[in-house]
Amino acid sequence: MNYILEGLRQAVMLLVKWDPETYAAIRATLTVTSYSMCASLLLGIPAGFALGYFDFRGKRVLRTMVDTCLAFPTVLIGLLVYAFLSRRGPLGSLNLLFSLSAIAIGQTILALPIIMSLTATAVESLDRRLRLTLLSLGARGHKLLFTTLWEARHALLIAAITAYGRVLTEVGISMMVGGNIKWHTRTITTAIALETGKGNFGLGIALGIVLMLIALIVNLSVMSLRKKS
Amino acid sequence: MDLAYRLEGVRHCYGNKTVLCIDEQAIELNRIVGIVGHNGSGKSTLLRLLALLEHPTRGKVHYFAESKEPMFEIALLPQEPYLLRRSVFSNVSYGLEIRGCGKNEIRQRVYDALSWVGLDPEGFACRRWYALSGGEAQRVALAARLVLRPRVLLLDEPTTSVDAESGRKIREAILKARNEWGTTVIVSSHDRQWLFDVCDTIIHLFRGRVVGSGVENIVFGPWRKLEGDLWIKIFPDGQKFLCPGVPGCNAVGLIDPSDMHMFPEATGSKYKRRACCIHGTVSGLSMVRSTGDIIATVYAGGEPFSAKVSGCVEQFTPGRRVILLAYPDKIRWMS
Repeated sequence: MNYILEGLRQAVMLLVKWDPETYAAIRATLTVTSYSMCASLLLGIPAGFALGYFDFRGKRVLRTMVDTCLAFPTVLIGLLVYAFLSRRGPLGSLNLLFSLSAIAIGQTILALPIIMSLTATAVESLDRRLRLTLLSLGARGHKLLFTTLWEARHALLIAAITAYGRVLTEVGISMMVGGNIKWHTRTITTAIALETGKGNFGLGIALGIVLMLIALIVNLSVMSLRKKS
Repeated sequence: MDLAYRLEGVRHCYGNKTVLCIDEQAIELNRIVGIVGHNGSGKSTLLRLLALLEHPTRGKVHYFAESKEPMFEIALLPQEPYLLRRSVFSNVSYGLEIRGCGKNEIRQRVYDALSWVGLDPEGFACRRWYALSGGEAQRVALAARLVLRPRVLLLDEPTTSVDAESGRKIREAILKARNEWGTTVIVSSHDRQWLFDVCDTIIHLFRGRVVGSGVENIVFGPWRKLEGDLWIKIFPDGQKFLCPGVPGCNAVGLIDPSDMHMFPEATGSKYKRRACCIHGTVSGLSMVRSTGDIIATVYAGGEPFSAKVSGCVEQFTPGRRVILLAYPDKIRWMS
């Protein structure tokens, strides 16, 4: 029990004293998750809207595929991204392997089905009268799209939080395509895994506390947004 | 005569079922046109076609637009209006924002529109969509259409599930739209008296077809043949309606209100055993704006009938028992 308490004490010291290694991992995590969330929201919301709003041939099959991707193992995504970005892979010339960009690509693939599926569900569960109401008031094209999404804003926030939670806590992608390089591609989760293995509980617990704090801040911000809207 | 719409050979189907079948119908500009009919008669479908939100399966709906953007000239209030999940002000201003109006103009017009439907702008503008009663929500939805000052205003059952006060406010707003901006208003309703009170002309729809330009009475089957040419229909309250010349078991008879004669029950005993006769209670009187005729709505056999009042109106005040009599040769039959 003592070594856990000692770990907690060390964690507080590391955070209070602005330990550069700890904060490098935090910075890398925040950077990479911001990129991946931006990309997955930009791609996932319009795609999810189309999936939920329109009726087209093959919609059921596509929906089933997207929903299946919700259970995509992070190591499998890591493997796929690694295969594409390694020197022998089709995108090897881009030299992205073992970089933050590579992790962001992998995390985008991880978050995309979550955003798409939950957006499609949110749009499908909107009141059927909404479309007729918007059309009857003269809304067309992008106005129709944005107003419909705005009506589903609470469900979209939940989709974003869910995806962020998954992206923030994944280890497989960061480890496989990031390489866990100190000061460079080491994220909070890979650092925890490594430091725990080395018996360095203080750093592991400190990063764990930060991870939970980030999740708390994101949730509080979203709750405040929900109240305002 | 300037026209707002002309319908030519319109057939509209959902799957294999034809829900609307109108060969020729013109709607004049600057008129208030009522659409009356039973559930499933095609009223809502017709309004959606007139709103250009759907295209007929066959035939054409010609809308004589004034501008290049007809969708901005027409506003439809659906039967169950949906309020956006935002404040009353934002709900009413939405259409104006789409049309690119300025902030000051939007504010003024939204406040005006709320006043027209009898809602205090200061008290209601900031209210959220969930803090409104059914009647208030209906009036906010109407204000969201009136604020656009549309060239054509289409209202689908605007008085359903609202109280008498809301119904009166909606009527006033419709008349204001027509009188101030020359809006052509096309309104469907079950409420015959309300329609008589508001509309210049009435289109009567039955099973997707236009059966008249007034509020004809409809007598449905099933009919049972008695001896000779005499047929009988039994109403839900047990009253027997005898009629000669019925073309079939499921025939539907149409009787013009002016051909439906009405007598006080006390003085009409001599008609009791005659054909095409039924007893009922007067539920209301209304004046047809276009002709000045007084029409009584009578509930007989569990169904509403309209009869033109001739003679002393005092004999037919609401609550009075009356006998309705139709002449068989005046009944139009549809098979």
